[in-house]
Amino acid sequence: MTRPLVMTVDDSPSMRALLRHALTAEGYVVAEAEDGVDALDRLDAAAPDLVITDINMPRMDGFGLIEAMRGDAKWRALPILVLSTEFSDEKKQRARAAGATGWIVKPFDPAKLTAAIRRVLV
Amino acid sequence: MTMPAPATRPRLRPDGCRYYGIVQGARGVSADPQVMFSTVLGSCVAACLYDAEAKLGGINHFLLAEPQPGQQIDAQAAQRYGIHAMELLINEMLAKGARRARLRAHLYGGANLHSGMHAIGSDNAAFAVRFLADEGIPLVLRDLGGRSARRVDFQPALGRSRSRIVTDTLADAPPPRRIPVPVAAASAGDLDLF
Repeated sequence: MTRPLVMTVDDSPSMRALLRHALTAEGYVVAEAEDGVDALDRLDAAAPDLVITDINMPRMDGFGLIEAMRGDAKWRALPILVLSTEFSDEKKQRARAAGATGWIVKPFDPAKLTAAIRRVLV
Repeated sequence: MTMPAPATRPRLRPDGCRYYGIVQGARGVSADPQVMFSTVLGSCVAACLYDAEAKLGGINHFLLAEPQPGQQIDAQAAQRYGIHAMELLINEMLAKGARRARLRAHLYGGANLHSGMHAIGSDNAAFAVRFLADEGIPLVLRDLGGRSARRVDFQPALGRSRSRIVTDTLADAPPPRRIPVPVAAASAGDLDLF
């Protein structure tokens, strides 16, 4: 059985390493990008089953990434979770309008994160 | 200037500076040259970040974990909290005009105040140094470790910091009351499905 591939998008190498550790421990394959522009460059090659993205990033933030992905038929239905320190309703509504699947507030709990992934990958 | 709770009211000094106390779990970011952040550190660590071009600085005050005697630290959970504390500070600075590539750091604290206990201060200091290295943020000044508490003053708009020993007798004092580590929000980690 093929293991699901999760692309993590975060400008912090420390956060990407933390996510990589948590996700590989649960059997997921991980691809990484450091901002929205980098993620768009890597999407075709990685062909992820799910994207987990930060919001505050240089060059292209998480909102821009979600909007760009939803504007491309290839990624219109791909689950996208936002993982951010932000927790305002205004930001969540903006992500929802852009087409995000869900929102998780940092700091993340590995068990809750993998439970959330299982929920959106069904 | 923003000052997430918990924070203290400023004290006006004769030199015209407004001193803001930064307690554990708090942070402060400002480009006001009349603002001074001040904090007292034992085993906790304070990271002072500064962007010289934006003339903007920020400070936090965090503790990875403070286990009870005999209790094991959950290293992964502690690291998650440390990264989170640093990310909140960096994000706030970026939102106010700083650039990640221009950030420079000073680190203070990480003392091991109580002999015979796990070296919590060393863990905190090691985390902070490793985090900055991983993030590519140059560490230009450090005063870490030892067995004494420090008072740190940071003038964010100028990127100037200084530390001084508060007392050299704290190492023999009884362990402090355990302070719970704060989290960002009650809903942290929960999935909000759209």
